[in-house]
Amino acid sequence: MITLKNIEKVYQTKTIETVALHNVNLHIPKGEFVSVMGPSGCGKSTLLNIMGLLDEPTNGIVEIDGQPISRYRDKELAHIRNQKIGFVFQSYHLINDLSVLDNVELPLLYRSGTSAAETRHLALTALEKVGLSARTKHYPTQLSGGQRQRVAIARALIGQPELILADEPTGNLDSVMGEEIMNILLTLNRQDGTTIVMVTHDENMAQKTERLIRFFDGQQVSDAKTTAYDYQKV
Amino acid sequence: MIRHLFKLIWNRKRSNFLLITEIFFCFLVLFAVLSLIVYNVRNYYKPLGFEHENVWMLTMRPDTDSTALNRQTLEQIMQRAKGFQEVESVALTNSNAPFAFSQMNNELSYGEKKMMANEYLVQDDFDKVMRMQVSHGRWFGQQDNASHHYPIVINRALQQKLFEGEDPLGKLIPRNDSSSYQVVGVVEHYRPSSEYTAEEPGFFNRIHLPKNENEFYGELLLRVKPGMGVEFEEKMVKELSGISKGWTMEVATLEKMRQNKAKMAKVPMIALTIICGFLILNVALGLFGVLWYNISRRNSEIGLRRAVGAASSQVYRQFIGEVLVLATFGLVLGVAFAIQFPLLQVFEVESVVYFIALGIAVGLIYLLAIGCAFYPSRQAAAIHPAMALHEE
Repeated sequence: MITLKNIEKVYQTKTIETVALHNVNLHIPKGEFVSVMGPSGCGKSTLLNIMGLLDEPTNGIVEIDGQPISRYRDKELAHIRNQKIGFVFQSYHLINDLSVLDNVELPLLYRSGTSAAETRHLALTALEKVGLSARTKHYPTQLSGGQRQRVAIARALIGQPELILADEPTGNLDSVMGEEIMNILLTLNRQDGTTIVMVTHDENMAQKTERLIRFFDGQQVSDAKTTAYDYQKV
Repeated sequence: MIRHLFKLIWNRKRSNFLLITEIFFCFLVLFAVLSLIVYNVRNYYKPLGFEHENVWMLTMRPDTDSTALNRQTLEQIMQRAKGFQEVESVALTNSNAPFAFSQMNNELSYGEKKMMANEYLVQDDFDKVMRMQVSHGRWFGQQDNASHHYPIVINRALQQKLFEGEDPLGKLIPRNDSSSYQVVGVVEHYRPSSEYTAEEPGFFNRIHLPKNENEFYGELLLRVKPGMGVEFEEKMVKELSGISKGWTMEVATLEKMRQNKAKMAKVPMIALTIICGFLILNVALGLFGVLWYNISRRNSEIGLRRAVGAASSQVYRQFIGEVLVLATFGLVLGVAFAIQFPLLQVFEVESVVYFIALGIAVGLIYLLAIGCAFYPSRQAAAIHPAMALHEE
């Protein structure tokens, strides 16, 4: 699904050079649920941005479905993000002036050939999947944190992406809400075969995924299958 | 996407209220000033109905009250003026000659209809001096000497209002005394007031010196040959002053008088345009500032849109689109107000003037909105999505 080869990311100002990622090599096959852990500032989010084509590596190659994306221009990258990738953020990134339904429909606004009726149908289906079909007309400010994150997941789902990148999706939630969100992600992975890469600080959540990659100071320090994953029940 | 933009702006109507109000007022001011400009420009391109080039107006003020003596001198002056080789034709008129700062009007009635119309007293050769064309009927002539009625030539505007579909020729219009005016001709246009003034109903009344024995006319129009200048003016005034000792004489070209009249229309137009320009500049700066601020507040939303598949060009178009939608809200209110002017026929101005002004004002507001949104939108499109998402 996605392969990173010798990825290096350096942030450079006039005076300081900060290495965010150094020599990262990863292959994430289709259908895998991977968690990424590490202390703050170790490069987890940078890794996710590069995987999500929101940022470019300073050096190295990113391949999606075997195709290197370095030759793609802004418009083509946007198209790939729209077609293949869904994002879930720690702070939800919902637009407060749009209803739940409109927020969920957002990715399809940038996809040509989808009618308004079809968009509506897909949005309702996505909301049903996350258990929020009763809240379509609500606004984000009228929802709890867990509900907001479920809206964000529905938004990530609507385009039926092959890959979901989740940046600390349970980071702002209490443990019960966190569990709920995690269960939704696990269901998506197991039932729909969606590839998920999740950045988390929570060891328990990470252990529920199939594979755990640890980062430290911009370098990949471990990459192993978890033991608990096979026995998890959703 | 358009539906999405309308929804977004509508849902943000509270925070956008001031911007919409600003656009609404800006549109109204622009509409008012443009209506004035369109009105004047349209009038400017309409025919005047006469040729004022190479026409001079000699204004004469006698030093005595003796009408008989003054009339005798006036006839001598006219005789001499006609005698100059440089002069093609002359005609007496009253003080409301073309481009003069004077007006005279009279109430006319025909059947049930009554209306005010400008009255122009002119001699028979006035049509030659001003090179006017009669489109229907005839101009004044010797055949009118024996008429029992007062012959008049009317303009088309008067014909349409007083006689509507009827042929006006030969029609009698009662005067204040027991006599009547009789229509002998119609001219298509006559706009002596100014190039920027609309045509008003008017009629020419004949000056026939033998008949108007007790009247004195102090304005003489002369059509001179092309190229006549100050030299001839001095020579003419000197000779005519020799005939009319003690009279005050003043010569002005109709071109100069036209320019003076034009200034009166242009000055308020220019002043209002400048004031309007400053107002628009203020609105533009305000709009630019607010848009800039709004966009900087929406970094996270921009990042999100990029993440879900918007290319930077789509973000650019979205912000331009939002401003256009915002302008549309202001304009819908403004147009709803402005459309009342043509519907209610305010100020008796042709509806087309308002419609043209409305169209230009709408176009200018959209241009202004695009102009103000251009740079902030470009900045929004240039925002790095990863950075924007990180800012939340």
